[in-house]
Amino acid sequence: MIATRAPLRLNDRMIAYLLILPAILYVFVFAFLPSVQTIFGSFFLASGKFSLYNYQFVTSSFGYSPIVNTFEVTVIALTVQFIAAFLIASLLSKPFRGRAVFSAIFLIPFGVATIVTAVIFHNMFSTFGGYMNSFLVSIGLKPINWTGGFWPPLIALILADSWKNTPIVTLVLLSGMVSIPSDLYSQAMVDGAGAFRRFFYITLPNLAGFIAIALMIRGISEFNIFAMALLIFNRQLLTTMTFSLYDTINPHPAYAGAAILLGIVLIFATLIMLYRSRYVRVV
Amino acid sequence: MASEYKGPVQAYVIWIGIAVFTFLVLLPIYVLIVISFGAPSQTVATYYPYLVPTKWTLKNFISSFTGIGQNFISAFYKSLETAFLVAGLAIVLGFHAAYGLSKLPGKLGNLIIGVLFFSTMIPSLTVAIPLSETFLRLGLYDSFIGLGLAQELIVLPLSVFLMMGALQSLPKQLEDQARVDGASFGQALYRIIFPLAIPSVIAAFLLSWLMSWDEFTFAVIISPVHPTLPILIYLASSARGNILTAASFSLLVTIPVIVLTLVLSKFLRGSYLTSGLVG
Repeated sequence: MIATRAPLRLNDRMIAYLLILPAILYVFVFAFLPSVQTIFGSFFLASGKFSLYNYQFVTSSFGYSPIVNTFEVTVIALTVQFIAAFLIASLLSKPFRGRAVFSAIFLIPFGVATIVTAVIFHNMFSTFGGYMNSFLVSIGLKPINWTGGFWPPLIALILADSWKNTPIVTLVLLSGMVSIPSDLYSQAMVDGAGAFRRFFYITLPNLAGFIAIALMIRGISEFNIFAMALLIFNRQLLTTMTFSLYDTINPHPAYAGAAILLGIVLIFATLIMLYRSRYVRVV
Repeated sequence: MASEYKGPVQAYVIWIGIAVFTFLVLLPIYVLIVISFGAPSQTVATYYPYLVPTKWTLKNFISSFTGIGQNFISAFYKSLETAFLVAGLAIVLGFHAAYGLSKLPGKLGNLIIGVLFFSTMIPSLTVAIPLSETFLRLGLYDSFIGLGLAQELIVLPLSVFLMMGALQSLPKQLEDQARVDGASFGQALYRIIFPLAIPSVIAAFLLSWLMSWDEFTFAVIISPVHPTLPILIYLASSARGNILTAASFSLLVTIPVIVLTLVLSKFLRGSYLTSGLVG
């Protein structure tokens, strides 16, 4: 037995390497090479000359507002989604009749395509033929110009994005909540801890790993919010800015936009990793 | 959580919460149905649309297939081809990689997981723009093969993590036993391991299919001439299109996907999404 197993294992390991190879090659060719091409390309002109002109062009024609707007959207959307997901997950973690049905209903937006969500919310929050204004008028309030000012377009975009993406945060947080032993809660209640203290001293610390994962998944997509912004948001984000620069004849200015986007996402991801390594012990 | 005190007040709070969120979740779906089937005079052609239209019609739907909507069939077909390519590749590449990773020693395995995880952070736009250049030269631009190969990037790491989580939970003895009984490596892998991992394979397939069906960024940059459905809906709802066309197509795209999502929810657990990232 032992004599036949040792060489077999070695062989298995070689096969394991071979089986992983196609996926690694794929990621190398379709993720890392293009990223390198973007970063290099952003420092060259179409004529092949090294230059910082692309970055100067981007900042002179758009200013820094796409970066600021992207951060605003990300921070507010993440806050809204995490509050909603915490509420829904704590509802769904309690036993009640019909829980399976409501879990399924709360998952529906996850299956609605991003562009479809954008079309729906574009109709709800337009000034002409908008359902939100119809509703406001019907309860005796003034209609709002959803495409003007600072807050109205931001609110429309955040609501659309949060409607679509809260389910995935809920799913991750719920799987974390289920894993917390209920003894912890009964102990705390015996010791006289109220609902708020139980949330801040038991739920939150125990969920740190899951929060980090949900933040990572959502935060990165939030920086990349694109289709919805094209239809709903009238200010530029990093993605829509890069898209408007995109041109197959001279891709270099778009490379600069895409490189800035990549840089910001990587900085964000590093910060989340630091948070994880600091606060998450038991994994 | 079961041991928490459940008084009548708490029961009320739960039901109020459930009612509020159910309302919020279903409201946009209701709006989509109203725009698709309500008479245009009460929906898109009035300053304050009726919250509950009194006239309903199927005309919006039928007239959607004129103008830009004539491309519906070809866009539907392209979306379908791409989604099946992406989901199929996710299983072929992903299952083998997941199996290989479950066999590798810790350090090297973690390094490869790290590389895969890192690739999920790269924004689609960062990759799509140079890829469109390359595809133009290779003749893959605007083809479903090129689009599928590009979209694979968003689904592959997730599929690997998902199936790896399932494979790691299988007892090792099963495979050893099969090998001792004379099964070849391939037989053990495809006859013993694969059938046991089927729930996670289905979950990975459905998730990849859905993500490709929904994908916008790669599609708009790599395949703009013969668009997929999301791009067609985008074109229909932008300046030159017709909002009724956009709404009807949105409904057509959404119904099968909601059904699939509900099927997926049977296979998908939040813990799947977190496997591979934990540890």
